[in-house]
Amino acid sequence: MTLTPLVEAEGLSRNFPLRSGFFGAHRDVFAVRDVSLSVDKGEAVGVVGESGCGKSTLGRMMLGLERPTAGAIRFDGRDLSGVSGSKRRALARRMQMVFQDPFGSLDPRRSVGAQIADGLRVHRIVPGSKIDAEVARLIDLVGLQRNAAGRRPHEFSGGQRQRIAVARALATRPDFIVADEPVSALDVSIQAQVVNLLADLRRDLGLAMLFIAHDLHVVRHLSTRAVVMYLGRIVEEGPADRVFGAPAHPYTRALMAATPSISAGRAKDRDVLSGEMPSPADPPSGCSFRTRCPLASAECAAAVPELAPYEPGWKVRCIKAGPSDEAGARP
Amino acid sequence: MLRYVAYRSIVAIFLVWVVVTLVFLLLHLVPGDPAELLLSQGATAADPQAVANLRERLGLNDPLWLQYAHHIGGILTGDLGTSFRDGASVAGQIVQRLPRTLEVIITAALIAVAAGVPAGTLAAIRAGGWVDNVISFLSSLALSTPVFVVGSVVILVFAQELRIVPAGGYVAFAVDPLRHLMLLLLPAGTVALALWAVIARMSRASVLDVLERDHVRTARAKGLSRRRILTRHVVRNAMIPVLTVLGLEMGTLIGGTVLVEFVFNWPGLSGYLVSAVDARDYPEVVGIVMVISILFVFLNLVVDVVYAVLDPRISLAR
Amino acid sequence: MRKLVLPVSIIAVILALVLLAPVLPLADVRAMDIPHRFAGPSMQHWLGQDEFGRDVLTRLIFGARASLSIAIGSALAAAVIGAALGLLGGYFRGLVEILTVRAAEVILCLPPLLLALLVVTILGAGFWPLILALTILYTPNYARIVYAATLQVRGLDYVTAQRALGTHPLKIVLRTLLPNVLPPLLVQISLVIASAIVIESGLSFLGLGVVPPTPSWGLMIRAARGAMEQAPMLLVWPSLALAGTILTFNLLCDRLQSVLDPRAVPAGGAIWLRRRKPAASPPRAVLAGEDPVNRRAVAGTPPAAGPGDLLAIDGLTIALRRAGGIGSGMELVRDVAISVRPGETLAIVGESGSGKTLTSLALTGLLPDVLEVTAGSAVYVARDGRRLDLLAEDEDGHRRLRGDEISMVFQDANAALNPVQRIGEQLSEVIRAHRPAGAAEAGREAVDLLRRVGIPDPDRRARAYPHELSGGQRQRAMIAIAVANRPKLLLADEPTTALDPTIQAQILALLSDLRRDSPEMGVVFVTHNLAVVAEIADRVAVMYAGELVEEGPVAEIFARPRHPYTAALIGSVPEGGAERLVAIPGTVPPPGKMPPGCRFAPRCDHAEKVCRQASPPEFRPQPDRRTRCLRFEEVT
Repeated sequence: MTLTPLVEAEGLSRNFPLRSGFFGAHRDVFAVRDVSLSVDKGEAVGVVGESGCGKSTLGRMMLGLERPTAGAIRFDGRDLSGVSGSKRRALARRMQMVFQDPFGSLDPRRSVGAQIADGLRVHRIVPGSKIDAEVARLIDLVGLQRNAAGRRPHEFSGGQRQRIAVARALATRPDFIVADEPVSALDVSIQAQVVNLLADLRRDLGLAMLFIAHDLHVVRHLSTRAVVMYLGRIVEEGPADRVFGAPAHPYTRALMAATPSISAGRAKDRDVLSGEMPSPADPPSGCSFRTRCPLASAECAAAVPELAPYEPGWKVRCIKAGPSDEAGARP
Repeated sequence: MLRYVAYRSIVAIFLVWVVVTLVFLLLHLVPGDPAELLLSQGATAADPQAVANLRERLGLNDPLWLQYAHHIGGILTGDLGTSFRDGASVAGQIVQRLPRTLEVIITAALIAVAAGVPAGTLAAIRAGGWVDNVISFLSSLALSTPVFVVGSVVILVFAQELRIVPAGGYVAFAVDPLRHLMLLLLPAGTVALALWAVIARMSRASVLDVLERDHVRTARAKGLSRRRILTRHVVRNAMIPVLTVLGLEMGTLIGGTVLVEFVFNWPGLSGYLVSAVDARDYPEVVGIVMVISILFVFLNLVVDVVYAVLDPRISLAR
Repeated sequence: MRKLVLPVSIIAVILALVLLAPVLPLADVRAMDIPHRFAGPSMQHWLGQDEFGRDVLTRLIFGARASLSIAIGSALAAAVIGAALGLLGGYFRGLVEILTVRAAEVILCLPPLLLALLVVTILGAGFWPLILALTILYTPNYARIVYAATLQVRGLDYVTAQRALGTHPLKIVLRTLLPNVLPPLLVQISLVIASAIVIESGLSFLGLGVVPPTPSWGLMIRAARGAMEQAPMLLVWPSLALAGTILTFNLLCDRLQSVLDPRAVPAGGAIWLRRRKPAASPPRAVLAGEDPVNRRAVAGTPPAAGPGDLLAIDGLTIALRRAGGIGSGMELVRDVAISVRPGETLAIVGESGSGKTLTSLALTGLLPDVLEVTAGSAVYVARDGRRLDLLAEDEDGHRRLRGDEISMVFQDANAALNPVQRIGEQLSEVIRAHRPAGAAEAGREAVDLLRRVGIPDPDRRARAYPHELSGGQRQRAMIAIAVANRPKLLLADEPTTALDPTIQAQILALLSDLRRDSPEMGVVFVTHNLAVVAEIADRVAVMYAGELVEEGPVAEIFARPRHPYTAALIGSVPEGGAERLVAIPGTVPPPGKMPPGCRFAPRCDHAEKVCRQASPPEFRPQPDRRTRCLRFEEVT
């Protein structure tokens, strides 16, 4: 661990005002609540959770695309809320994003080369005369054919578009990339291509990456550290292979049990988590997972549990954190 | 549902306030002395004495807030001022003429919906066929011919040349119901024509769109009869956007009514309005425009409520 | 683009006439000739003379000058202002939105003609007041449309990507947003020109627009009305000119719309709506060896149908309709043979474009209208013991089976349920479509079904609309509809794909329960997710590029795939500790560009020359397994 992390979020919250009816009371809905998370240089952090858990909002806030309601994000030691305008835009060079939908993330009316070149021009990465050569290099880097630059996005398949999006993100030579579900819209065989590409680029270019996905397997494969979110909060955070190897939070365990596995064979009567995620507009008191938790007891309703250290580098937000559902507490 | 209606009503009242204020402001937003503007005829300057009189008459010498208070107060008490021309009460004239205008608008809307929805649905079901082509042709023709042209041609052909119908006029319902209806049908039918075209085209597009939706495939997968799929799953859903369009067309409908009443000598608000504008009788014009605009807001309120009945998703949102 | 030729050339002619009017050899537009008032057409005056003896043709052309310059001028002025307001309001939202779009919308509270009249009252009639009035009138229209389009585009990731790149906001608005909101703007301009002509002529007709003696179509109609008895044709000419011009602009608007947003409408409407299938339904080309005349007879004893099969598909081929057009006859599914036994769950797995969904839709006659089954049979043993060829049934035959014996669960329950019908009614109508049940009885049964699929508080939920249910509950309701009549065959098309993992697990568990309750029900489960297949299916059929490549028991295929595509698919799942995933190079070939020979050969590690020459035959590595690979023995 380096002393200052590359990106550091502290006490990050984001809420949306919600008004029920014309005269209804004004309430806040928390999409993200009190999240502290840091990403070191060259580190790959994976965020998992089901839809509505706030993982995408978190990713956009970490890039400064959305303003947090509370908390701060520091990039390379600088507080993002303190810089604005052109300085803020200059800082944007160092952080980029790869989106989920390969069809919405490219402007249908402009050529692929022009879109990749945008970042080069905005930040004057290379002199004007060398832009074409640099675009060609980037296209090569993500494994597309050279003639791709002149073509429009609709001529490419989903996987190829995702490569173009990666090339565009890499154009500004960023240190930090947020990838929001970069493979979930792709076919299985194409997913593997993009997953491999991201893994290679991260290793070769030393990128720090925040990898957001709902697929446990993909996150486990790509990240060194894993963050599990539920209803806007981090419930577990630790080394990826250990979090997924022996999860300590009952939600992580349930998520793993629910994820079908190719090697598990025919499903037995395993425990299926009952109920659904409560509405973020009306979260339960105390631990937000208690309404569905097999371990829940009266004390869980009393207060929101702390994200407490469980083992070195591993934190869990559960008063009954432990290796399995049988044991009430850690032996 | 009730809450939704209450909410929409409050919005409507707010809109009425916006309209009333807008009409008030319009005169004052124009650069220059409003009284001078109202009296100007091209390049010739207005007589200073007349300007002074008009200023006095319109209360333009009062501070703006007082004028505004008078304006709002007048509306709340139903006092819309008196005419420049004959000093008659504007409100009195409007009360007498408004029902006749309403009659034309409502009849026209009913005719247009009753004829437009089936025509559009049929065209969609037979998309690309001859029925579709005929309806498409008729609707683009109807859409492209301004109401006053249709009205004039109707008079030319049916009254002047064929002498089937009277060239217009008005007889009170109490005096001769049959003749009243006949005379009503001319302007109402003329106004309805353009609206019919809009509704038929929108119904066609909307039905075609709904036919492509997944839930229609589900309805087929359930083994329902064609009739049931069409009535319960296609046409009902398709009516929601049609209603939106109906709401948007209310303004055109009202404008069309103004023109058509003039064409057929129907003694609604229109003739009054036209002569008022012609004479630049400001209190009269403002009074009529305000009443019609308030009518417009409430017609839209009715559309909104029907909309909520058709689409249960609406009343929840907001 | 060819569609635009007609309206654009007519408009060009009109504009040329209008612009060249002063230099054309026309009569003087104001020269009166009282002795010849109402004179009919003559050599000097082609369309006759009006009530002052002026030349009608000249006045018609000069009238267009006034109408068009007012209409086009105000339409363009309003477009520029409105688009600017809409773009700024839509991109920056917040306070900017209130100051631009919302402020402009206030004008929409007034009916358009009345607003114009109000302006005319204040400013007096004339050319410039009209332009001003119409510009004010139409600005909010544009602002609204551009605003809506901007909101839509703004939410797209490529705009966010520009922000992430650090591009200046104004540059984003001009370079990224503006071109993408241009199409609706263009359509709106043509619409507004037509509408502005209507209002301008209407005002002139009332005597409140263009001031005489300037010629205008509205004024001409007004004058002609007074002279209807002497010269009826005077009314006809300006009416025709006016309607024709408006018609042309409306046509331009329609054509623009269809060019910018092409959506194919099937000729003759949706085919299933027609009472009978077209009598001229082309006889299906049948795969080699089968005689079309004996189809029924063949179907009686189909070659692949074992005695115990519930459903035996053989040689299923689906192609684009041959009725001309691009890509007609292109085969999307080719020669697929699968069978399902009672109580068995068969998974059809494949990537997008593999034809897995089309295969299941073909069985129920729900293929999109542009596709048709061109060969094959699907023998299904009905409840009454009859053997039916599902592919030969017409819409009515399918309708009797659908929702009753054969039912379907779709992927996106949100779209698949009717948004404006109560859940209970959507359930009871499928009961009543196939069984004689009263409304009350069906309603009670609907509630029971909802309870059975695990929806809490079913009495209340039956009265809810789909949007009031969560995603998982909607899918449960969809499943309740499917099992309402205790089907013999359940076709589930990606039923859990859009769901979150914990909800997906719940739905899979529900399906297992239902199968336990109805041991005779056969299930066809279409999915792209291999792990789900491993969880739920007995047998699996792997499809690639429209063909079945491998089929057999799930456990055996996952343990030892016999087709390189299956092997690669399994290897590409990020499970286990592999450092790198097996990525299949390249992409699925698009239909119409299928390689000769084995369709997977261009992406296959094992491919040899023979693979690229002819389509490989089917092999049976074991009695209950099939594969379409020449080198299946070397795969694993």
